[in-house]
Amino acid sequence: MKKVLFAIAFAFFALTGYQAFAQEPELSPERKQAIDSLALEKVRDLSKYVKLIGSKNTPWSEANRVIDRAEELFAPDAEIGVSSLSKTKIEYYRVRQYLERLMRLNYDRVEIDWYKIQYVSDLQRQPDGTYVGVITIFQTFKGYDAEGRLVYQDTTKKDITVYVKRKETQIGGRLIGFWDVLLGDMRVKETTQK
Amino acid sequence: MSKLLKVMVPVFLLALCLKVDAQVMGSLGDVQMDEREFYTMTKQMGQFIHRFNYEEDPTGKRLYASDKDYRNAAKRKDALPLLFDLDNPRTSGNLRNFFVEDLLKNRQFLEFLGGNWFSEVSAKFKWKGQDVDISLIMTLEKDGLGSKWVISNVFFSEFQKYFPQGELADREKHFLHPMSHELDFMNIYKIFNDPQIVEYYASTDYQPDYLTLFFYEIKQGTLKFNHVESVKFHVFQIQNWYFEVSWFNRSGYNSGWLISNLIYLKEEEKEALLKLYQPKK
Repeated sequence: MKKVLFAIAFAFFALTGYQAFAQEPELSPERKQAIDSLALEKVRDLSKYVKLIGSKNTPWSEANRVIDRAEELFAPDAEIGVSSLSKTKIEYYRVRQYLERLMRLNYDRVEIDWYKIQYVSDLQRQPDGTYVGVITIFQTFKGYDAEGRLVYQDTTKKDITVYVKRKETQIGGRLIGFWDVLLGDMRVKETTQK
Repeated sequence: MSKLLKVMVPVFLLALCLKVDAQVMGSLGDVQMDEREFYTMTKQMGQFIHRFNYEEDPTGKRLYASDKDYRNAAKRKDALPLLFDLDNPRTSGNLRNFFVEDLLKNRQFLEFLGGNWFSEVSAKFKWKGQDVDISLIMTLEKDGLGSKWVISNVFFSEFQKYFPQGELADREKHFLHPMSHELDFMNIYKIFNDPQIVEYYASTDYQPDYLTLFFYEIKQGTLKFNHVESVKFHVFQIQNWYFEVSWFNRSGYNSGWLISNLIYLKEEEKEALLKLYQPKK
C-alpha cells in the first residue's frame, strides 16, 4: 500500500513539476523589446559587414577579416537560401560561401543599401525552450560597369532567423544571467529587378 | 465606385501616413527612397495575425493587452479590408464585408498556437525518375517547452490513384461472407485476385494513410525531395469561415501575405474538410 501511495505521490510531483517548468511565463512586452533591440543590433552589424564585403573599395584582406566577423554572428549550421524572380528554386549557401560570393561579384562598383523599414516577429519557443524569431529587412543592390553604367539592380527581402537563449556566466564568483542572441538561417527573396 | 473608394481610401491613408516610426525605430536603413510599399506590405504571417487582430496600429506599433487600442473594434474594421487581395472579386466584395461583420460582432481573433490553421508547402519531388508535385500539409504542434511544425498529411495524385473511390455497387460485391472462418478462410485468396481493389476488403471506415505511404516511399529511396515551389496557409480558426492566405509579390499598397480565398463554411462541414488536413487528430 505504501509503495502504491509513494508511486502516486511521485507521479503527481513529477507531473506538476514538469507543468511548472513547461508553463514558464511568456516574455513580457518590456523584456521582448529589450531582446528585439539586442537582435536588431546583430542584424545592424550584419548589414554593415555586408556593405563592407560588397564594396570594391575594401581591400581583399580586410574583406576577409570582415567575413570572419560576420560569420561569428551566425549559429554554426546556419544557411542562406536565395531565390530570384526568374528562378524561384532556393539555392542554399553556407554563410561564408554566400559572403565570399558577394565579395567576388564581377562589377566595377557596387552599392548596397538598406531600407529603413524592418519587421521583428514575436518570439516563439521551440521544443528545447530556445526562443526563435524572424527579422525582416529590405536591401537594394546596384552593380556598375567600368564606364559607371548601372548594369544590374534589385531589391531583396531578407528574413533572418534569430535564436535567443537564456545563459549564465560566472563573473567574480557570481552567476550572472544574460540573453544570448545568435542569427540562424536567412531567406533572401528578390522582390524587384531592373 | 463608392465601394472601391471606401476600400482604397484607408489604403492610401495608410500608405501616405508619414509616421511609420514603429517599423523604422533604430533601423539600419540608409536608403533615401519611397518605402511606403514595404511598410504596407504584410511582411510575415505573424504580422498578418497581428494586423488581423488589430494588435498592430496604423503606424506599425505593436499593441499589447495593456494598450488602449489593443484589438479596438472600430479601428480593426478599417484595418481588416487591407488584408484581402483587392484584385480578386472573391475577396473584395460582399462576402468579405459579411466576414468582417462576423469577426467584429463575435469578437473573433486568430491565435498563433490556436490550432486549425495549416501551411501547404507545394514542392517538387523526383518519383521513380520523374518530376512530380506533392503538397505537404504542415501544422503547428506543442512539444516540450515550445512548439514545432510537423507534417500532418500529403497530397500526391499518384497515391490517390492507388485508392480510387469506385462505384458503391462494385464495392458491395467484394466481401468475405461471415461464415468464412468455419472454412479456414479458404476463400481468402479472393482478396488478392485484383490488387487494384484490395482495399475493398478492409473495413467500411478504412481511410488510406497517405503520410505513411509518403514516408515509405522516402525510406525506399523511390521518392526524393527536390525543392519548394510555393507556400500558402489555410485557416479554419474563425467560426463558420475558411480562408486562404497567399504571398503577393507586387508593387502598390496591397502586397505580401493577403487573403486570397474566402469561403463561408458551417462548422459541421468543416469537420470533414479538416480530416483532409489532419487525419490523425
